[in-house]
Amino acid sequence: MTALLAVGAVTLGTLGLGAWGVRFVRTTSDLLVASRAVTAWWNAAAISGEYLSAASFLGIAGLELKLGASALWQALGFTAGYLALLLFVAAPLRRFGSYTIPDFAEARLRSPRLRMLAAAVVIVIGCFYLVPQLKGAGLALNVVVGAPYWVGVFVVAAIVAINVAIGGMRGITYVQAFQFWVKVFAVSVPIIVLLIHFGGLPGRSALFGDRFPHAGRHGLTVKLAAPQQVDFPAAGSFTAGGHRYTVAAGRHVTLPAGRIRLPPGGIVPMANGIPPERGTEWSRPVGGSGEASPLLVYSLLIATFLGTMGLPHILVRFYTNPDGHAARHTTVRVLSLLGLFYLFPAFYGALGRALTPQLYVTGQTDDVVLRLPQAAWPGPVGTLLGALVAAGAFAAFLSTSSGLLVSLAGTLSHDVWPRVTRGKPSGVATRRRWFRIAAVGAIIPPAALGLAAQSVDISILVGWAFAIAASTFCPMFLLGIWWTRLTARGAAAGMVAGMVIATAAILTGLAVGEPDTGAGALLAQPAVASVPIAFLTMVVVSLRDPRRLDPAAEMLALHAPEGLGLRLADESAPSGDLVRNV
Amino acid sequence: MSTERRLPRPRLRTPRDELADSTAHGNVYLRRLRRAQLSLSLMALVAFGAVFGVLPIALYLLPHLHHTRLLGIPVTLWILVIPSSPVFIAIGWIYARRADSLDAAFRDVVER
Repeated sequence: MTALLAVGAVTLGTLGLGAWGVRFVRTTSDLLVASRAVTAWWNAAAISGEYLSAASFLGIAGLELKLGASALWQALGFTAGYLALLLFVAAPLRRFGSYTIPDFAEARLRSPRLRMLAAAVVIVIGCFYLVPQLKGAGLALNVVVGAPYWVGVFVVAAIVAINVAIGGMRGITYVQAFQFWVKVFAVSVPIIVLLIHFGGLPGRSALFGDRFPHAGRHGLTVKLAAPQQVDFPAAGSFTAGGHRYTVAAGRHVTLPAGRIRLPPGGIVPMANGIPPERGTEWSRPVGGSGEASPLLVYSLLIATFLGTMGLPHILVRFYTNPDGHAARHTTVRVLSLLGLFYLFPAFYGALGRALTPQLYVTGQTDDVVLRLPQAAWPGPVGTLLGALVAAGAFAAFLSTSSGLLVSLAGTLSHDVWPRVTRGKPSGVATRRRWFRIAAVGAIIPPAALGLAAQSVDISILVGWAFAIAASTFCPMFLLGIWWTRLTARGAAAGMVAGMVIATAAILTGLAVGEPDTGAGALLAQPAVASVPIAFLTMVVVSLRDPRRLDPAAEMLALHAPEGLGLRLADESAPSGDLVRNV
Repeated sequence: MSTERRLPRPRLRTPRDELADSTAHGNVYLRRLRRAQLSLSLMALVAFGAVFGVLPIALYLLPHLHHTRLLGIPVTLWILVIPSSPVFIAIGWIYARRADSLDAAFRDVVER
């Protein structure tokens, strides 16, 4: 009940701030990128708030519980992505002044067809990234009120669509900044309280020692909704339906539905797909094969490092900086805000291994952040902390999904729709109406996929979105901003190559199953191969393209500092100054 | 201040004019700025790579590190969780200041 109230408060706060923002919405430009005049700390908090998604809030701890400390590379990569953005993209892109990634593609490479390709990639990445958010929402509502999975997916999809359709992004800048602090509060306070309560990390032999996860002093009761296939990593026993069963080490067993009872200190069986690991293996950041292999770690780091800049909802927010200088300094602030947040998820995974080992039996490791407080400290304190965490998780889904949906709806109404109507002139009111229709329509495919993806880890789903972004938009930005010879044909070829290879690998990996070998690792996280191929394709095709561009004006727009009267966007300069006559 | 000085007419062409007309000269100024910015970014990237690019392989090649404990927690985990963001912020902050000063130097040249 407490948790439901907390979730309701966050949701109402979001909707309320969104509605409050509506009063300021006047033009389509306002709707798309606020008014480009938000202070650096507000903007940094908003960027961080939009960025910290279900993957950060639930996924990292869930993957850590499941696979071990190798999941923590993800937190590092998620932050490092902003460093790449800062070093290569933030200031030039802000100076260039396009609203969206398709805008940039068309303006830099002078190709309306490239714009359509970029719009298509935006839609793919946006959908890929929305699915895990909605999955997280389904899990959260299930934990909080016991609602079926699909109810949570549906409720959050509806809230986000309504919020975006009425508020656009002007409202959302303040909503996102507000949500960032909600998330930091909600992730930090419960874990700090729990760590103080236990006087440090409990159950260390299963965390760092030579033990497998085991039931606590009072045993462990697990409720299974359906029969569950499990492995016993060591000899153990369980009680089900009044009978006690003894299982030898390494045996594969199907547990019946209903209440399963594990004896005090008994070995915890692992659901299918969770590698049984002793504490020493579990806590190793790199090593051996599978998810912790160096190849996979590097592939994940590359995907997150280079993929962040290609996420459509992130770049749009950079246009709310007044100039390139501000874009740089906002990004440095983002690095510090994200660093603060990412201190905490690791502790949830570690505490979860000691205190919520039942998640190993059910296989629902993504639940760990939500379930930990109540399991660790039964009673009113645990309930209160659980409510806080649930509210933070909801803030995470709402903010990231809203940002993604704004980009999706913006792309549909701004890029795709004018193409469909063949450039018929339309008024502001018409475009706003299309933005709203697009916002409602664009949530439907990810919601449907979210219902289907219940069994895929949040972190894995998010990893794919990053891999695709790193293999398509990242090379287009880096080469487009820093290399004069890039052509539209080269950019298109590289984006298609990166997209095809990344998607094909991911789909093959899904069909093949668990990544135990080097090849399997590449299928699970293809960035280490697909990103270089995309870069190489862009360079080679551009160099062989007979139609060269002379991008002097574009380079001026990208790189010339503000305040020189050289730029279209300079407030101090008369408009049209880029090609002025002396 | 150069803005207060009246230039004789017909006025001399300034670097700003060269840039605005995107003449060969103007392009040279801009290319110099772009290359300076790019090499600054690449230097920052190398600094980042030297710290974090080698971290996975270093931890892989030094498994003993994992058995060393600090306050009961393996040193490898401390390395993974704690120092990343201060290093990121330091690299980012130094980079942003240098990038701004490159821009300022360019502004001085153009407004000369």
